[in-house]
Amino acid sequence: MPIIEVKDLTKTYRIGSVDVPALKGVSFQIEAGEFVAIMGPSGSGKTTLMNIIGCLDRPTSGKYILDGVDAGKLGDTARAHIRNRKIGFVFQSFNLLPKATAWKNTVLPMMYSNRRKDYRAAKTALESVGLGKRLHHTPMQLSGGEQQRVAIARSLVNDPPIIFGDEPTGNLDSKTGVEIMSIFQRMNDLGKTVIIVTHEPDIAQHAKRLLRFRDGLMESDEPVIDRLIVDQSSR
Amino acid sequence: MGIIDSILTGLSELFSHKMRSMLTMLGVIFGVAAVIAMVSIGEGGKQTMLEQIRQMGIDVVHIKRGVVAGELMEKAQEKSPFGLKYADAQSISRICTFARGVFPVREVFADVKVGNRPISVKVVGVTSGYEVATRSALEKGRFIKPSDVNGRAAVCVLGDKAKRELFGFEDPLGKTLKIGKRIFKVVGIMSPKELGDSKSFASLRDLNSDVYIPITISVSDFKLFSQQPIPPTFQNALLLLGKSMTVQSLDNSEVSEILVQVANEDATIPTESVIRAVLNRQHKGIRDYEIVIPSELLKQSRETQRIFNIVMAAIASISLLVGGIGIMNIMLATVTQRTREIGVRRCIGATKWDIIRQFMLEALVITCFGGLIGVALGVAGAKAISVYANWRTVVSVQAIIVSFSVSALVGVIFGMYPAIRASSVDPIEALRYS
Repeated sequence: MPIIEVKDLTKTYRIGSVDVPALKGVSFQIEAGEFVAIMGPSGSGKTTLMNIIGCLDRPTSGKYILDGVDAGKLGDTARAHIRNRKIGFVFQSFNLLPKATAWKNTVLPMMYSNRRKDYRAAKTALESVGLGKRLHHTPMQLSGGEQQRVAIARSLVNDPPIIFGDEPTGNLDSKTGVEIMSIFQRMNDLGKTVIIVTHEPDIAQHAKRLLRFRDGLMESDEPVIDRLIVDQSSR
Repeated sequence: MGIIDSILTGLSELFSHKMRSMLTMLGVIFGVAAVIAMVSIGEGGKQTMLEQIRQMGIDVVHIKRGVVAGELMEKAQEKSPFGLKYADAQSISRICTFARGVFPVREVFADVKVGNRPISVKVVGVTSGYEVATRSALEKGRFIKPSDVNGRAAVCVLGDKAKRELFGFEDPLGKTLKIGKRIFKVVGIMSPKELGDSKSFASLRDLNSDVYIPITISVSDFKLFSQQPIPPTFQNALLLLGKSMTVQSLDNSEVSEILVQVANEDATIPTESVIRAVLNRQHKGIRDYEIVIPSELLKQSRETQRIFNIVMAAIASISLLVGGIGIMNIMLATVTQRTREIGVRRCIGATKWDIIRQFMLEALVITCFGGLIGVALGVAGAKAISVYANWRTVVSVQAIIVSFSVSALVGVIFGMYPAIRASSVDPIEALRYS
């Protein structure tokens, strides 16, 4: 059974009295353990798709099944629970709480699932992204790459099956971007389903499968040839 | 999110903006402090008054010598030339047979000397039983006896303070002192009498500095103590001359006060109307006396207290309202400022309810903190008032609990709207917001 199944998905925004279609009927499936990159120019509908499969938004029509649940029809609270337990988010602009320490930022998803007893998992998560010595630094005291690694630790802490990266390397230099991609690859190796949105072909080259979008439709769906694999030992 | 995490988040938010939090709290702080200080003053006043009423005796009707001034004076001179007099006490006791006792009291001008040392104490002419009506207790010796009154005995009983002023730590029983030109023998000493406050609402005397002598001797030897200055007119001079020439009879001698003790509190009001009728006839309609019933005073002061409480509640609710609006204002600004944070929290799994709770708790933490500071300030203020203004204040636990709860309630009420606003932030929009 696929972990994500999208069928005839459409999304129409109403701006004033004009209907603007963002997605015009998209269908695909993602199996557990895949590493998918989504590419497309701006206006292609990739951000809208991201919002829907990230359970931040609901489709206008069509089906979205996540882990066997019809997530397209869930209410606000149920979707919040899904975001908390099934999905880990990593954003282009990191989206860390500026005044909270790395540890506090990482622990946040656990606060929303009442896992007070498991707070030490936050330290483990930070150690797994190489920030074991930066627990009490605030985002201001960390480099961009380190901030993104805190965000990854945060996305991992509740052990969700899916990790979403929305342009996760967009604000980083290429070297740091590669470092981040190596972490994603490692997570994928450990069994997580990883989905990233990017417009950089080099970054997409780290995934196993590539979906291209244009004008609200899926243009292509193909495996990545000549996949870039970051040597884990070089880090 | 767990309640502990929510509170910790609220606290850390509070402490990361110390100045802002302080300013936000100010309204609540002042409101609570004002309530506590005012309730303490009111409560202190009430206690003082209750104590004084207890001292006056709830079952005693006081008739005080009044002063007629202005145009009525001439008429008063003609119709009731002696004012409140000894005979009035006798008339009252004749008619009010149900009264337990009628006690005329005559405070006089007199110099008191031990050896050659003059000391300022009050000399009061009384009858036997006066100590019962005033709820004073005898420490040693005896009080003025009926035989002392009838025989005009030169004996005296000292109040506690008077004893110390006159004799220091010596035992004065059996010793003599000079009052006016006559030598008096000390036959008794009173126990100290607790007096709540120097500021009395019903012009209570401090009985501790009294020296009691038989009322008969006070009439024959001394002049009535009067705080009223006599206007120096020719007429008055003549009058005074006339008064001093005639030998005053006991019946017509003026007294400062008459106490009428009755069976219980309920009997005071009917007694008062009887006394009023008697005196009205005796004094031919001249109101040169004043009747005071402690239980009536109690009622009046309860009414005053009620009005005081209403005014205070109004002031307090206004300041708490203003404080609440201040909190709402800051919280609304905070919601806008923290849109991105809200987006992040929503994105990683906070439900709307989590966000509402977080913002409500922040408001609650602010108001509870403000409430605590306000309580501390209010208690300190009450203490300061009792030190500087010499008012009695009583900090009531009830006032602390109520005002603290109200400040918490203000947090809940005024935090609600900003919290709902925060929860309705669209996470997609919020993450794009910068």
